[in-house]
Amino acid sequence: MPAPLAPLTLEIVVLLLGIVLLGFESFSKGGDRGWMARWSVAILSVVFAWSFFTTGDTGVDPSHAFYCADPLALFFKRIALLTTIIVMVISLEFRPVLEKFIPGIQPGSGTGEFFALPVFTCAGLMFMASAVDFLLIFVALELVTISFYVLVAYMRRQNASLEAGVKYLILGALSTGFLVYGITWIFGLTGETNLARITQVLPSLLAEGGRLHGSESALLFALMLLLIALGFKVAAAPLQFWVPDVYQGAPTPVTAFLSVGSKAAGFIVLARVLQTVVFLPSIAPKVLSVLGLLAVLTLLYGNLAALPQDNLKRMLAYSSIGHAGYLLVAFASIDPAAGNLYRTQTAIGFYLFGYLLMTLLSFLVMTVVSRHSRGDDIVHFNGLSKRSPFLAFGMLIAMLSLAGIPFTAGFYGKLLVFSTAIARQNFLLVSVGIITVAAGFYFYLKVVSAMYWKEPTEDQPVTASGLTKFTVAALCTAIFYFGIFPQSLLSMLPSDKAAPVAVSPAPHK
Amino acid sequence: MSVTLNHYLLASGLLFAIGFSGVLLRRNILTIFMCLELMLNAANLSLVAFSRFNLGPDGLPNYNAQILVFFIITVAAAEVAVGLAIIVALYRARQTTHVEDINSLKF
Amino acid sequence: MQDYLPILLQVVVAVVFAVSTLVISVVLGKAARRNAMKDSAYECGMLPMGEAQPRFSVKFYLVAMLFILFDIEVVFMYPWAVVYRDFLVEHGSSIFWSMLGFVAVLTVGYVYAVFKGALDWSK
Repeated sequence: MPAPLAPLTLEIVVLLLGIVLLGFESFSKGGDRGWMARWSVAILSVVFAWSFFTTGDTGVDPSHAFYCADPLALFFKRIALLTTIIVMVISLEFRPVLEKFIPGIQPGSGTGEFFALPVFTCAGLMFMASAVDFLLIFVALELVTISFYVLVAYMRRQNASLEAGVKYLILGALSTGFLVYGITWIFGLTGETNLARITQVLPSLLAEGGRLHGSESALLFALMLLLIALGFKVAAAPLQFWVPDVYQGAPTPVTAFLSVGSKAAGFIVLARVLQTVVFLPSIAPKVLSVLGLLAVLTLLYGNLAALPQDNLKRMLAYSSIGHAGYLLVAFASIDPAAGNLYRTQTAIGFYLFGYLLMTLLSFLVMTVVSRHSRGDDIVHFNGLSKRSPFLAFGMLIAMLSLAGIPFTAGFYGKLLVFSTAIARQNFLLVSVGIITVAAGFYFYLKVVSAMYWKEPTEDQPVTASGLTKFTVAALCTAIFYFGIFPQSLLSMLPSDKAAPVAVSPAPHK
Repeated sequence: MSVTLNHYLLASGLLFAIGFSGVLLRRNILTIFMCLELMLNAANLSLVAFSRFNLGPDGLPNYNAQILVFFIITVAAAEVAVGLAIIVALYRARQTTHVEDINSLKF
Repeated sequence: MQDYLPILLQVVVAVVFAVSTLVISVVLGKAARRNAMKDSAYECGMLPMGEAQPRFSVKFYLVAMLFILFDIEVVFMYPWAVVYRDFLVEHGSSIFWSMLGFVAVLTVGYVYAVFKGALDWSK
């Protein structure tokens, strides 16, 4: 067995890939850029496999580190890589639509960046998964956000895409402003930007005689600013209002990327930031009640506003808000007495992985179908089972898993999340969760009924490339595999039995 | 009267509030964008003030904050470059930079 | 600690100040608003030709933007230059190569801009 590799090599390879792609793009004129996506898929798959051979130990004292590679970070790096790979497959299917809305002399000219930028975004997401210093959190978050500004507004011959880009730009920059101001206040109160050191100094500062004794409100103010900023990123109500418009207007692969990648990275940063304060007895109850309120609002808004939607892309946007709500339930159910966040981390890790599989599957099928039907309303899916039984089956699996039918990854994720809430006896959250799951059945199954029980408006068959078919099959299999054997995924996530790598460098399986 | 940390924080709070209310109240996207940059600079100002007034045991300011300011400045520049490009593209397509005219996506 | 309470109060004052300024500007600014009557020529004055604020070409905009981007990256070289000598003695030449790597990344960006024609403002 080869010596384990330093985890940072993963990011370096991804960044180099992005730079090389940009280099090729600047020297070549026009022509088909599909090879860029295919090469990215190949190389990112290698990096993904490689991530299983990296050691979790960076050899740096956590109180001086910018970057950590605990099991959670590695897990979220894999989520980022897998998301990017599947997004590349979706963009390959999306190319004809893209070329139509890009001004260019030759077909294909000006589309190269569409395949290079997601690679940079992926690197940013991987850095976010590992960031344990506010400096790296900020820079990585901005790398992701600025790439997304360009990607959302990429189809500059289409008003919807441009407007979505401007909306995302304004609200993204606003959330950056809040993030930076929150970081400033945290720095002003503690004198540190490193999360581990903030965790160390806060209890003594807040204790009797400490510098911050009696001024918890200043700390809460800073945390509120950070929560607003991260709430924007993960689309938590009441900071979700940009989501439906941006998701509908953005090019479909970018929507898929936004709804999975951006959300996953936002949640891991939220977990890391909360870890600094959630065990402080004077702060924890207030933060947790705010999170609980956010969770309830997000669940209700996401799932109820999705009910009347007839555009599938917009419906998935609301559904993604709803799923952010389930993830926030896991955060609101943190046990301040536990001393660690393993339970919540495991729940959100599993949930986000399942969410990745089913959301990207539905976006992939949607891209293929909307290319043939020239639209992404639910009507365009009428009778899909007759036009392409295979794709209809893929969409069926995705919708069932999103709704949370047993034996799918989506079901087990919800089970984990609700079990954290039940363990904390948080029955309000559980009951709201169950009501919204029931609402979810209605709008997810609306798509299924359109595909299987309505007559098709067109009858030419829907065709997809071999790579797409393979990806659909792989995602379907994975949804069932991890729904029936969740243990194979849970073993990669932090648990009470395994000590975090940052503390003891001993590897564990 | 000597200038203390509180004066800097007041100025930075004012800048942040002006920027934020500008984002909420203004109707021109370019103005909104300038207000957003104002918010970032408010944070920069208070970071530098915190760094200058919380001297370490060796009597030196905490340089972490000043490095963070450098990063905020560069990232803000990148954000402006991308943002202006998007706004120019929107202007070319729609001949407007007013938020009321950006309504083709239903709310 | 009590020291921070004034800061919070000041934040509140700041918000109130900013909001009231804007409200006042809206209330008092009504008289200055343009309307069709105001825009028309006075009695037999000349009709205005063209706009008061003529448009000018934004061809240089890309060049200016790129200038700011590359200009601002230099900010990282100042702290680097300050610690360079001490770092070289203590930790060896890695500080030199890391800056070279940083410049190399910037160069890729520059090459990209040149070959994409972003600096070609006569086009």
